[in-house]
Amino acid sequence: MTLSILIFLPILFMVLVAVLPQALKNTFKYLNLAVSIIQLIIAGYMYLHFNHSLPGVFNEQSFQFVEKHSWINLNLGTLGKLQIQYFLGIDGVSIGLLMLSTFVMAIAALASWEIKTNEKGYFCLFLLLNAAIMGVFSALDFFLFYIFYELMLLPLYFLIGIWGGARREYASIKFFLYTLLGSVFMLLVIIGLYFSVKDPITGAHTFDMLSMMNPANYVQGSIFDIHSSALLFGVSPRLLAFAVLFIAFAIKVPIVPLHTWLPDAHVEAPTPISIILAGVLLKIGGYGIIRICMGIFPDGAIYFSWVIGLIGVVSIIYGAMSALAASDLKRLIAYSSVSHMGFVLLGIASLTVEGVSGAMFQMISHGVLSSMLFFLVGVIYNRVHDREIANFRGLYLQMPTYSVFVFIAFFASLGLPGFSAFIAEAFSLIGAFNSNSIPRWMAVVGAVGILLGAAYFLWTLQRMFFGKARFKGGEDWSAKLSDVNLREVIALSPMAIVALLLGIMPFLFFDMSNSAMVELVNATLKSGGQHLETLSKLLN
Amino acid sequence: MEVESIKLIETQHITTVIGAALGALLLPLLSFLIISFFKPRKGDWLAICSTFISFLLSLYCFTNIWNLQSYHYSAQWLNTGIIKLNAGLTLDNLSALMLVLVTLITTLVLIYSTEYMKGEKYYHRYFAHLSLFMFSMLGVVLADSLLLIYIFWELVGFSSYLLIGFWFDRDSAAAANKKAFIVNRIGDIAFFVGIMILFTQFRTLDLGALFGTADKAGLIQQSVVENGLWKFTDISGNAKTLNASMLTVAGLCIFAGAVAKSAQFPLHVWLPDAMEGPTSVSSLIHAATMVAAGVYLTARVFPLFSPDALTVITYIGAFTAFMAATIALTQNDLKKVLAYSTISQLGFMITALGIGAWQAALFHLVTHAFFKCLLFLGAGSVIHQLHHVQHKYHLDFDPQDMRLMGGLRKQLPVTYMVLLVASLSLAGLPLFSGFLSKDLILIGAWSWEKPGSAIIAVLLSVTSALTAFYIFRMIFKVFWGENRLQKTVENIDVSVHESGKAMTIPMMVLAIFSLFAAFSINPLHGAHSWIYEGLVVPLNSFNPKIQFTEFAESWVPIITVVLAVAMVLVARIAYYKQKMTFLTEHNFLYKFSYNAWYFDKLYNSVIVRSVVLLANFIRWFDINIVDGIVNGAATLVHQLSAVVDWIDRNIVDGSVNGIAWLAARIGDFIRGFQTGRVQQYMALGVFGLILIIVLSYIF
Repeated sequence: MTLSILIFLPILFMVLVAVLPQALKNTFKYLNLAVSIIQLIIAGYMYLHFNHSLPGVFNEQSFQFVEKHSWINLNLGTLGKLQIQYFLGIDGVSIGLLMLSTFVMAIAALASWEIKTNEKGYFCLFLLLNAAIMGVFSALDFFLFYIFYELMLLPLYFLIGIWGGARREYASIKFFLYTLLGSVFMLLVIIGLYFSVKDPITGAHTFDMLSMMNPANYVQGSIFDIHSSALLFGVSPRLLAFAVLFIAFAIKVPIVPLHTWLPDAHVEAPTPISIILAGVLLKIGGYGIIRICMGIFPDGAIYFSWVIGLIGVVSIIYGAMSALAASDLKRLIAYSSVSHMGFVLLGIASLTVEGVSGAMFQMISHGVLSSMLFFLVGVIYNRVHDREIANFRGLYLQMPTYSVFVFIAFFASLGLPGFSAFIAEAFSLIGAFNSNSIPRWMAVVGAVGILLGAAYFLWTLQRMFFGKARFKGGEDWSAKLSDVNLREVIALSPMAIVALLLGIMPFLFFDMSNSAMVELVNATLKSGGQHLETLSKLLN
Repeated sequence: MEVESIKLIETQHITTVIGAALGALLLPLLSFLIISFFKPRKGDWLAICSTFISFLLSLYCFTNIWNLQSYHYSAQWLNTGIIKLNAGLTLDNLSALMLVLVTLITTLVLIYSTEYMKGEKYYHRYFAHLSLFMFSMLGVVLADSLLLIYIFWELVGFSSYLLIGFWFDRDSAAAANKKAFIVNRIGDIAFFVGIMILFTQFRTLDLGALFGTADKAGLIQQSVVENGLWKFTDISGNAKTLNASMLTVAGLCIFAGAVAKSAQFPLHVWLPDAMEGPTSVSSLIHAATMVAAGVYLTARVFPLFSPDALTVITYIGAFTAFMAATIALTQNDLKKVLAYSTISQLGFMITALGIGAWQAALFHLVTHAFFKCLLFLGAGSVIHQLHHVQHKYHLDFDPQDMRLMGGLRKQLPVTYMVLLVASLSLAGLPLFSGFLSKDLILIGAWSWEKPGSAIIAVLLSVTSALTAFYIFRMIFKVFWGENRLQKTVENIDVSVHESGKAMTIPMMVLAIFSLFAAFSINPLHGAHSWIYEGLVVPLNSFNPKIQFTEFAESWVPIITVVLAVAMVLVARIAYYKQKMTFLTEHNFLYKFSYNAWYFDKLYNSVIVRSVVLLANFIRWFDINIVDGIVNGAATLVHQLSAVVDWIDRNIVDGSVNGIAWLAARIGDFIRGFQTGRVQQYMALGVFGLILIIVLSYIF
């Protein structure tokens, strides 16, 4: 029941917010925060009761907090039975991200204080988004997953399009269409999978992801059957399906060159939505690649590892270079996200335990740090409605406590040891360097990204925070740029502390995910290798 | 005297010695945290106390370790799948020596700072950051694995960043600390690549396991190079091979980390700029300790270096030593002279490591730490007093400019004396500590037998002579002759007073450590000093050991001393008597030296500019091409839908409407017949009937 509570609690409160009279609009933000705090407590409970030794990943028995109910069962006559399950569960792959999501949602709830218009609509959509996010990370039925996945789009579209900045409509449509483009093709693969896989127990076609991961469950001669030699557009359907799913998720990550929705969406979105976008949404991309692409099509993961690694490296360097050239602070941070998420792809492409663990850790670390960065941008934007780097100078003298937080966030993000990003990047790189599937130069070039990270963050510090205080808005701005208030300190401190804790005690995360990662990588290499062998035999 | 092989104790329990070392490491961290969080108006006593206790604990460790016992404490830090990382302390002669050195010098500098930094707005923060620095530096020294060294290595860079930018409202300081961090990051990236190569080959990063201990060969020594392959067989018999060039690459990558930290060519450019920090910071971090970390690291990983790697190291060190010395000749800024001197001396140490004179390098590291720290503190004392004058009379001049000094020896007698001692030590004159260690390096260089060894030896000897010249140029310009500042201002007495006890006593302590007696009973030969004898060269299985030749041992010291004395006299004639001039300010060589061989210009115009250009190009590409395609696709769809819309309205709907129109027209036409007159209907009816009958007859 735990997972269901996590998912439906926000829905319940959404209904509550919807029926409460407009006069109580000042309480909405507290209700919203209360939901997040309860969810955080639930996440803490799950952390304490999570059994580290169970690997999960492929085996239903070793998933935890499992809820499995038959949801839609239709007898379609000659077509067999349609079987859609309400199937939830978590393992080492998802628990970290689920906890991250509750954490980021709480921070975003605190950042939602800045919303001053149409609160009812905002908080209803926010809570709906919350529910969808929790659902995505716990769904184990592909159909259910897809519902939650698409359900996220709707509130995000309105949240950016209504409460966003000047070019909000352009940004929200771009974001919506980009993501939809990926998910439409994903739907085709889901249907293909549905007709290829049968539930071993009921014998009905199923959307169960775990059944899809077991080659024994594929119907002989079906499109995604490993032993089928049928080709689709001249290529193996399984590899094609991997590529389609990968692109769908990679748009979310995002990868260069499918990344341009991100800077626009981030820049135009209100602060809490930027936080959610960077903190959680991007992780769904990485999560999808690990759980679904690798899990269901391990052959594709091996076959495309070189390409994925290359995309990762290009994203790292390209994102960092774009950040270096950015003149808007929020844009700079958005591009730094592109760069940092490149390490996730590099780690995944390595197909080593270190690399994939590093990728997972990078997602957690980036989730915390990018939330912090966007929150920090929001602080000055709220005060003077400007975030051009060139318009600020000597902020340290003006806002000392704020600057200390910026210091922490910047240095943590540029990979200073002691903070989480260092461990994440080190592991991704070590994994990539040790990998048999990608060449060593990728790790070396990826490491250069860390250097560029130092360059753009430190240059920003130099331009905005050091020197004598001087602002474009003059006296007016000096009066408005007050140091962080208590609420902001309450929001910022936990992020700094988590980044530090994970950096010094990375085992807090690794202990949870380790057995899952070992299982995932070993099984992917083994069965993926076999599939590829079978495939090459079939094609010759 | 050969040192008996020292027993190593591996432990997972915290014994007294390890506890003391841990305490020495963590106390400064504690003081950093307390000062940063509680922001006491004066955090100085806390920092000084914790550092001093650290020093006492270090002394305790030292007496229990030096030539007696080594300890290695390690505890599991993180275990994920294949990577098992331990974190621990390694306590052998080298780290014990460094421990005492760092804590002692930091204590002295902190005491000095109480006066030097008095009245600063962020006084407490200065002590907090110095505590953080000391924690990180001790971490580098004590760390038992390369990854742990790397972690503290970066933290050292971070605290250096904070301290260079201590006066962050100055633009030059804000630029300098960024430059320092980024240049160091370049080295760090290479260092990390080196770590990855070693991890790939050996699956461990533990120093003892990799490089061996006094009584056990490490994995590196067990690996062999044959047939162009670098081969290593682990205990379970699994052979791992990498290309033989990877051995050299791994060594040079880790060395690149040292190049950045120890400000060697081509990454030396950050150190002169780092002088933007307070002088006390320069003395501790950018002269005595942090910059020596590169030498320490190179010494630690010494067994890793292949012959090619050692050759590169030697050339880089010697070139850096020479280049920096030529730059120091013409600088007018007091601190810049010392900064280039530091680079030059670090070059000596690196060269020593390259030729295999391992002990000499570390010996020089220790002696240099004392006398160079003292040189900076002395310079700080001069600058501090001139700054007072500047402040008192609201004058506008640069208190670091030697062209405005002169004749200060009477006004600053203690400062003069200690600076003289330190300079004599740096110049390498007998009876001073610098003589002992530098001589060993020169003897090593003249004994070295590899192609090109003569170049290295000559280069070092020339540099040694230049060193004596530039440092006495400084002494004569600052302390002798007439006060040139007085000439620029009338009516004001710009004479200065000696600094207070908090500054002079630490300087005097350092001066004692700049004399030979602290290191060796024999003032004329360093090979019998306790440091030299106590440090055991780790075995490098790829290279032969260096043997000092008798010729070098007997002649090099004499020639060096003669050259140094001659240079001191020349400097005296040129800068005190002013009877000799060399190059004018318009001479190309002078400008070349004064502008530090134009490295900054070169790097700015070639590297920095091209990176910025590339970044701007990518931004343009992102906006116009990548996003252009996206928006273009959107526009295309938009246009396409407009076409469809037109077709829809005009053709599809047009045909529908056309049919409707046609029906209406037909209806209109037919309506014409509906007149309502019976005769007409009858007539039409009869007409129709006739038509039918006629037609039925025809067909």
